[in-house]
Amino acid sequence: MSAETAGPETLGHLSEEPKGEDPGSSKARTITGKSPMRIALGRLLRDKIALVCLAVVLFFVFIAIFAGPLQKLFGVTTETAFPTQFLNLDGTPRAEFGPPYGGFTWDHPFGVAPRTATDNLAFWLQGAQNSLQIATTATIVAMLVGVTLGLLGGFLGGIVDRIIGFVTDFFLTLPFILAALTIAPIINERFRDSPNYPTIQVIALIGVLAGFGWMSVARLIRGEVLSLREREFVQAARVMGMPTRRLLLKELLPNLVAPIVVASSLMLPAFVAAEAGLAFLGIGVTTRPSWGQTLNQGIGFFDNYPLYLYQPLIAIVAIVLALNLLGDALRDALDPKTRR
Amino acid sequence: MRRTKPLAALAVASLMALAACGSGDGPSDTETGDFRETDAGADKDPDAEGPAPELEGAEAGGTITVFLPGDYGPDDLDPTNGWSVTGNSIQQALTSRSLTQYRVDEDGNATLVPDLAVDLGTPNEDYTQWTFQLRDNATWEDGSPITAEEVAFGIARSMDSTAFPGGPGTEYSTQFFAGADEFEGPYTDKDTDWTEWEGVEFDNDANTVTINMSKPFPDMDYWGAFMAMGPAPLGKTSQPPAYGQNIMSNGPYKVESFTPQDELVLVKNDQWDPESDPARHQYADKFVFKFNADPDQTDQIMLSDNTESQTALSTDLSAASYQDALDTLGDRLVQQSTQCTSFIYPVYGKTDLAFRKALAYAYPYEDAWQAGGQVPGVTRVPANSIMPPGMAGKPDYFVDGEQFTFDIEKAKELLAESETPPTIDMIYYEPDPLAVAANEVVVKAYEEAGFTVKSTPVQESPYSTYLNPDDKLNKSLNVRAVAWCSDWPSGSTFIPALFRGGATYNVGEFAEDAIDERIAGVAELPIEEQAAEWGAIDEQIQTEFFPAVPTAYYNQLFAFGSKIGNPSGDEALGAPNYKNLFVMP
Repeated sequence: MSAETAGPETLGHLSEEPKGEDPGSSKARTITGKSPMRIALGRLLRDKIALVCLAVVLFFVFIAIFAGPLQKLFGVTTETAFPTQFLNLDGTPRAEFGPPYGGFTWDHPFGVAPRTATDNLAFWLQGAQNSLQIATTATIVAMLVGVTLGLLGGFLGGIVDRIIGFVTDFFLTLPFILAALTIAPIINERFRDSPNYPTIQVIALIGVLAGFGWMSVARLIRGEVLSLREREFVQAARVMGMPTRRLLLKELLPNLVAPIVVASSLMLPAFVAAEAGLAFLGIGVTTRPSWGQTLNQGIGFFDNYPLYLYQPLIAIVAIVLALNLLGDALRDALDPKTRR
Repeated sequence: MRRTKPLAALAVASLMALAACGSGDGPSDTETGDFRETDAGADKDPDAEGPAPELEGAEAGGTITVFLPGDYGPDDLDPTNGWSVTGNSIQQALTSRSLTQYRVDEDGNATLVPDLAVDLGTPNEDYTQWTFQLRDNATWEDGSPITAEEVAFGIARSMDSTAFPGGPGTEYSTQFFAGADEFEGPYTDKDTDWTEWEGVEFDNDANTVTINMSKPFPDMDYWGAFMAMGPAPLGKTSQPPAYGQNIMSNGPYKVESFTPQDELVLVKNDQWDPESDPARHQYADKFVFKFNADPDQTDQIMLSDNTESQTALSTDLSAASYQDALDTLGDRLVQQSTQCTSFIYPVYGKTDLAFRKALAYAYPYEDAWQAGGQVPGVTRVPANSIMPPGMAGKPDYFVDGEQFTFDIEKAKELLAESETPPTIDMIYYEPDPLAVAANEVVVKAYEEAGFTVKSTPVQESPYSTYLNPDDKLNKSLNVRAVAWCSDWPSGSTFIPALFRGGATYNVGEFAEDAIDERIAGVAELPIEEQAAEWGAIDEQIQTEFFPAVPTAYYNQLFAFGSKIGNPSGDEALGAPNYKNLFVMP
């Protein structure tokens, strides 16, 4: 059997040899002049999924920030209604107020709620605001706690690290749902007389979410710090007599921006979902509109009025998915070693 | 009997603001159904004998599953402790016999008939002594005969308000039976042996039990239909609280397993003799009660008509499924009338008449029902009197000449006349989204009428706050609420429990000597005049003092599977008629 006379292996290199670049040329200068952040941003901008997700997230952020003015624009409110004016005997809205039996109406673009006859659009907008507000605040709190403890534990080591490690492990062993189920009624009972009851409920919820969210961050940061603190620039700074606080804030923290950004971007959707889940179970915020509550109420009407259930459902799925994918894209962009 | 379902409690909490209807702006399509009344078993038949008449087409065998959505069921099965619609309706029909009972026909009409006694009891001239001749062939689930001593011991147990604080004996036995001052019940009173107590005498040879009263008690035959007026095994066997988890059955079914708030499984008791029982049947092999079932899930199961739901029934269909159920279930959707009234009960000493009337006009009756998941005009209708429809002697009057309706303008006028500060302090049951929704509607209506409202969320049933005199929150309230159902069809189970000074469920702290005296005097009247007298007291309380705003009368919706025979309700208890259910082949 004869072999091909001119196979690729006999023709030598087909690939292009990198040409020797002149370090002084303009092309080389632009490459070396990019900061790591700009490189990451460039990668992110080339990622089409990330951009779509970013658009979705920005849409919801816009809704959340302008929930009040948007309600005024559409002429809807979250005020309690007198339901008999709007509803059939079985609790579904009458045809003139929109779905499920009637068509679209500008008075109630999303229709009215069964049983209570409140406006769906107003509740949906306000739900977005509450959801993002709670999730964002909880993320910030969890990050502050987690990063601080992670930095201290990793850098100081010794007894401090052991104590922080123990506390972290302890919190990890607490079952989240069980603890939330127990804490919510206690707090509600304790502060039920207070005129600030709604605010206290929100703060308590943020506390519960953040209290059960900081541990992974603390561990992540501690691991990063452990590897960073033996690096030359840290050793050099130490030798020069830099105080610990400055070391942590000026030398270590800037090098931890990437993991912190990635961790927050993945924590945010987890908190959005957790907030909705707790509201669904009836232990989240009960005094303000919430997507989870609407979900819970919508189940009984799914046969006759599926749109009522789909509104919060689609919103939750869209924002949680978008935030998750965006978080993944951010991680890929910031940390090329883990690229898929 | 108070409604113990959390859902009802929520309705109660929301009731604080509801009144009824017809405010005009809510045209509900009433052709789909309307409210029904019941006399709750006012008929009597002392000569009824066992066995109970066979039902047409009834066959033995099969398992019946009962879903009880949003209903936690009884915490224990001790007959002496049972005072809830759910627990009593199940146990009195299936496991625990008493002196008398109700026989319910296919239309749901209940008749009082004998049970362990051979008749409805023999009172003396002034109803201060009742003698019951017991039947010989009634047995426990282990086959041993039920003796007069065991029945007498069961009756003595009902005197123990410490061991059974939630039992009906606290309202009836201790009020009417002789020697209530000296005897605190067999478990609490260590000094007196129960056989020495003068309230009950028994004769094992003649098989009779005699009950002595401290004052005339003409309704003893009805009180005898409570399972608390039934036998208890002597000695350690029936020691509470253990007995409540492991009762000795004497009805057609016995307990196979019981998990509180979850499940109760009953199987045939082969020692029960049909000849001994004028009203019960033993058709199905097994009953499975699923407490606290998911309401939406249950509705779906019942509407789907699959193999699981064909032999199942639901004790509470939700409003969201009402229209579908009307179309698909037909006469398997049973609308059961119950003798219940709900009230907003402002604290009498803290409010004046104009304030209470303003409240009656400011309450958004139909709106609050709808937000609370009820079907206005079907499961709730406006109430005009204390006593519910169908109760003998129920008066027809309107406090203000016509039915109170949701009327903001009238409320404002009345509030301007009132010298009470226009503030309302009330509570609502926060764990239930329906209660929260109803509360929001009510608060809005009150505020539009010019009240300043402080509605505080509570995490347990509002009753646990109302019934706790030391609770700081409770002391601060000036508007409470209560929903009450009759124990038997007489004003005596309704008006004293709510309007006698110091009564447990008198949550509005109403007390007028004139009324207390008149209530006490009813027992002295000839029996045939008593019903009318209760009606007159009802009217006097409301027209002179108007202490409580009656907001609604109740109906219940039951859904039966397509293979359940004789789908009907029991008007005496406002529950499905478990005695007559069977599985069709």
